[in-house]
Amino acid sequence: MVAIQTTVNGEAHELQLDGHESAVDVIREQLGLTGTKLVCAGGVCGACTVQIDGTPAVGCLTPATALRDREVTTVEGLGTDGDLHPVQRAFMAHDGLQCGYCTPGFVVDAATFVDRWQREHGTSEPDRHTIADALAGHLCRCGAYEGIYRAVAAACRGDFASETGVSLRVDGRAKVTGDAVYTADVYPDDALEAVIVRSPIAAGTVGPISSDSAEHLVDLLDDDRRVRYAGQPIAAVAAPTLIEARQLAADLSVRIEPAPFVIDPDDALASDAPLVYESRAAKKTAPNAAEGPMAPARWQGNLRGPNPTPWLGTLAKRRVKKARSQGAKGHVALHFETAVQLHSSFEPHATVADWSDPDRLRVWTSTQALDHVAHELADHFGVEPGKIDVVSDFIGGGFGSKLSVTPDMTAAIELSRRARKPVRLVLSRAEELTATGNRPGSRTDVDMVVSDDGDLDAMVLDGQSLTGVSINSPYTALATLVYGRSPRLARDSDIVANAPPGTPFRGPGGPTYAWALEQSVDQAAHQIGMDPIDLRRRWDGNDKRQALYDWASNLPVWSDRPATGTQTGRYQRGVGIASGNWLYMVDPDTEVEVSVCHGRLLVRNATQDMGTGSKTVLARAVAGVFDVPVADVDVEIGRAGSRALHGPTSGGSRTTASIHSTAIEAAEKLKAEVGVDLGSAEGASATATRGGDHSMRPVPITFANLQLGRGFSAAVHVSEVEVDTLTGKTRVVSVHGGLAIGVPHARELAISQCEGSIIQGIGLALYENQILDPHSGVTLTSNLEDYRIPQLGDTPEITIHFHEPGWEHVPGGGVGLGEVATISPAASVGNAIFNATGHRPTTLPVRPDRLLEGLR
Amino acid sequence: MIQFPDSYDTIEVPAGGVVRSGGTDLQQRLRAENARPTIVDLTGVDGFAGISSSPDGVRIGGGTTMAAVAAELDASHPALAIATGSLATPQVRAYGTIAGNLTQHTRCWYYRHPEMSCFKSGGDSCPARTGRHLYGVVFDRGECVHPHPSTIAMALLCYETTLILADGSSKTMDELLGDGNDPTRDHLLADGDVIAAVHVEPGWTDERGAYFRSISRFEAEWPLVEAVVRARVDDGVIAEVALAVGGVATVPLRMTAAEAILVSSELTDETIAAAAAACTEGANPLPETGYKVDLVLATVTETLERLRAAGE
Ligand SMILES: Cc1cc2nc3c(=O)[nH]c(=O)nc-3n(C[C@H](O)[C@H](O)[C@H](O)COP(=O)(O)OP(=O)(O)OC[C@H]3O[C@@H](n4cnc5c(N)ncnc54)[C@H](O)[C@@H]3O)c2cc1C
Ligand code: SF4
Ligand code: FES
Ligand code: FES
Repeated sequence: MVAIQTTVNGEAHELQLDGHESAVDVIREQLGLTGTKLVCAGGVCGACTVQIDGTPAVGCLTPATALRDREVTTVEGLGTDGDLHPVQRAFMAHDGLQCGYCTPGFVVDAATFVDRWQREHGTSEPDRHTIADALAGHLCRCGAYEGIYRAVAAACRGDFASETGVSLRVDGRAKVTGDAVYTADVYPDDALEAVIVRSPIAAGTVGPISSDSAEHLVDLLDDDRRVRYAGQPIAAVAAPTLIEARQLAADLSVRIEPAPFVIDPDDALASDAPLVYESRAAKKTAPNAAEGPMAPARWQGNLRGPNPTPWLGTLAKRRVKKARSQGAKGHVALHFETAVQLHSSFEPHATVADWSDPDRLRVWTSTQALDHVAHELADHFGVEPGKIDVVSDFIGGGFGSKLSVTPDMTAAIELSRRARKPVRLVLSRAEELTATGNRPGSRTDVDMVVSDDGDLDAMVLDGQSLTGVSINSPYTALATLVYGRSPRLARDSDIVANAPPGTPFRGPGGPTYAWALEQSVDQAAHQIGMDPIDLRRRWDGNDKRQALYDWASNLPVWSDRPATGTQTGRYQRGVGIASGNWLYMVDPDTEVEVSVCHGRLLVRNATQDMGTGSKTVLARAVAGVFDVPVADVDVEIGRAGSRALHGPTSGGSRTTASIHSTAIEAAEKLKAEVGVDLGSAEGASATATRGGDHSMRPVPITFANLQLGRGFSAAVHVSEVEVDTLTGKTRVVSVHGGLAIGVPHARELAISQCEGSIIQGIGLALYENQILDPHSGVTLTSNLEDYRIPQLGDTPEITIHFHEPGWEHVPGGGVGLGEVATISPAASVGNAIFNATGHRPTTLPVRPDRLLEGLR
Repeated sequence: MIQFPDSYDTIEVPAGGVVRSGGTDLQQRLRAENARPTIVDLTGVDGFAGISSSPDGVRIGGGTTMAAVAAELDASHPALAIATGSLATPQVRAYGTIAGNLTQHTRCWYYRHPEMSCFKSGGDSCPARTGRHLYGVVFDRGECVHPHPSTIAMALLCYETTLILADGSSKTMDELLGDGNDPTRDHLLADGDVIAAVHVEPGWTDERGAYFRSISRFEAEWPLVEAVVRARVDDGVIAEVALAVGGVATVPLRMTAAEAILVSSELTDETIAAAAAACTEGANPLPETGYKVDLVLATVTETLERLRAAGE
């Protein structure tokens, strides 16, 4: 051990080090400064950035000994005298954040950039390229890049030199100061660190697990003791430190009898392929890749399905056959493929459990389904209501990967029960990028028949989802809902393989169907020589989307677009359009309470805010009723337990539409009761329940806490790209996103969501790709260098437009947007590349190697 | 265990121990492997960091940060400076060092995966060759198929470079890198050898330099292919030139055939095309790296166009 002296945020410290530690671990664990985050552990994302003698450094790659005799500044010490740094104020005011997990790293670095810029350039404004270059060492998975550009530019201009600046989010200040406590930041005294032991091989049967030294060991396998993919949880162990726990895990004697396995989808379909699920009983244990209920389907080997969604399906097939045999001009026949996309939330799956008091179980967990998870955990562990509290106060992103009870939760709780000590279990980035779910890849064959004057005569789609060990990921069925009522047939199958499980991912199936459908429509327009917007106008029965087509066709970028395939230079510019369609969902059981507490308004229930803005939506709703500043309303969500009121899961875009009008109703009730003088109303409260909509037609489907409401939400994206035909690189220059989701509650935050969706869509279109080793099934892209997500510098100029009418039957006049906003961006980029180059990119992601081949 | 030697004489690396400069490569591997070898931390060695010039060139202390190399050699050695200033991220350049860059371990995803073993991690095969090697070599010269990681090594190939070791001995770049045939190593330093400094010949009069990397995103991404060129141009005619390409083989490659085309020529579109084409000669791509032939062409073309623009 060595002792070093260092000064952190102006305070002198002596640190005892053994020399291997990275600065980020010591800053978080020894100094308790948890604002500095660990995300990639590889120098790529910048979340761990601190200043050392004023120079930004990545704490994950900086040896802790390098802090010797240095002045270190973390996000907690960024401001002066309790005042924030102008950059922090700018990030709050321009909403340079969503979940906030990347924010400390961004502001610590941006602060040095802004200070340097102002020294050298006064209060002129740097261009976007300069900002992106300076902050190239940072990533944001939520895609808050537009806000980040705005914030940094504003800070450089000196906008926040003196004034305080108002936070657009009620939790903005906590996020820019590092005060926000995420599950991964909870370090109870005396806690054990736990790790999950995972299968190193793709299939096998696991023998009994034992260890000489693992006094704290839980087995995580089902009764059949089978593992079906490399990375599958087998057991969990706990020890006083993470290093010891990992050593225990490595030393654990686990005997696995290897079994034959199959990784590649074509191999999985071979008649002699090893079966991933060998029996009927085993098939029943397959995880569900969708949020919705599991539709029954037939199995043939590793193929599950096809499940048809027909509308005059036989006629559709006949028309396709005829068009093909005649070589009809309007017959489109294309094959599309999409890659497996990873959520890669910046806060990994994490649970801290404290069951040291047998009468009280406390759980902190990073979940987007707090209330649901709290009930499931109580059931699973047989805890009486009132004896369990589950907290998910700040969540560093989820995107669909945190919708259910996960092994980190059950393992941490069980280990805490046995050890009678608090237990922390935080997944590593490699685990997060391997085994916590993904958007399944897909292969789609499309046949579309369009008459010479632009009628859609028939459409047949065959879709295969590459779901890994999961099942049930239909997506071509969604394609049948968009355009008109002409004959059509969609057939969805899953190909299972010994690969990590597919799970819901923001708009499950949405971007996947759109990649195939929207490019086929574009291709049809091209073949019959019609404008792609006009063709959609002819077919589309959704009047909200019709309004968006009017908006899109009037955009200068659209009217100025080049004729397809006419360019010859190195750089080719193109514009593409795609539309998106999604369901409207709501949780009718949502309850919200508004009360007077310590003389202030308090609004609460058991929902959560993963960066989507629910805290702000609630506060603004209540403030609006009482006509007080938003800052006068306290919000208490992210807690489920004895006093909790049911709150919606943040999935299916249901949260805002469920909580907004309910909060208004509760606030109005309270106001009717006590008036506006809160001084004499201490303790008064009122509660409201969301219920269904006032709608003329019955709501089609309901299951637990979820109703499918009337109407489809709609989106249209117009993307402009520049393709470097020499290097095969595509740059998205601008994107216009039009959304018909009614009135956007918390408009600026809604815009940020839409911008983030576009950025994730660009990731899907151009960069993101999980890659497995074909011989072992091991995930090779298990770090943020090889799993490539969009950077600040990849952000196009984004403009968001809302078409608001059409949702008058919904209380509050607006529905959710988290998903509809993600459907069409990637497809619009595909169409833009076609417009630019005359080459249609059908396989995702459109990497330089693919584009060069296509252009050859 | 950790040691902080304060002079080159007192450096002694125990068996199984590792030396550390900036730590930007080592710290990542220690965490991934949960490893705790003895660390010999060089940051306290007297004279380890810093650049000094003399008439026979510049001496860059092994512990000099990449940010300092990029900033201070901008005028005298533009090719080296631009290449160094374009790699990784600002934070990594601010702490990672030139010695660490030359001796960093490969970024092959198999090598870096704790569940995988290969020639470089003590195994006896190359799973990338038979598995996935999308970012692999396009000049296949040995059993290992992942390109050498060091951008700076590629740039230094264009200069007369001498590595000065802590024991006072010296090595050429060729002696550091070898021919790339030994799949078990990233470089040929013996265990315990420590790079004290890198000595680089003086820049040419009015030397110009250019660098380009082909990547899919904005920046801060490992190159698919990268190229660097330095040149002295007299009256529009190239008098002296050195060109190297990285991301293509288990060692960076000096492109002498292309240099022969360039020297005594003007930088016309035709010369650039011929030189770029010469750089692809002998390419023998793997199943997944055929695209890198196109990218060598593209990357060298862009690099030479930037060289031309640098003189305007
Ligand atoms: C996101 C990211 C992107 C990157 N992109 C690039 C890129 O495009 N091009 C590129 O070239 N690099 C790139 N790098 C790698 C980076 O340049 C290296 O991590 C850095 O140069 C290593 O320097 P260091 O001083 O931190 O080395 P350390 O981590 O201290 O050491 C690295 C290795 O060198 C050994 N070593 C260190 N010092 C000496 C010495 N004096 N003598 C002998 N052996 C020594 C160590 O034992 C260790 O094995 C990237 C890194 C990151 C994180
Ligand atoms: S030998 Fe080389 S290419 Fe093969 S797996 Fe190892 S590092 Fe990768
Ligand atoms: S955690 Fe350090 S850079 Fe990502
Ligand atoms: S706000 Fe950047 S990762 Fe969520």
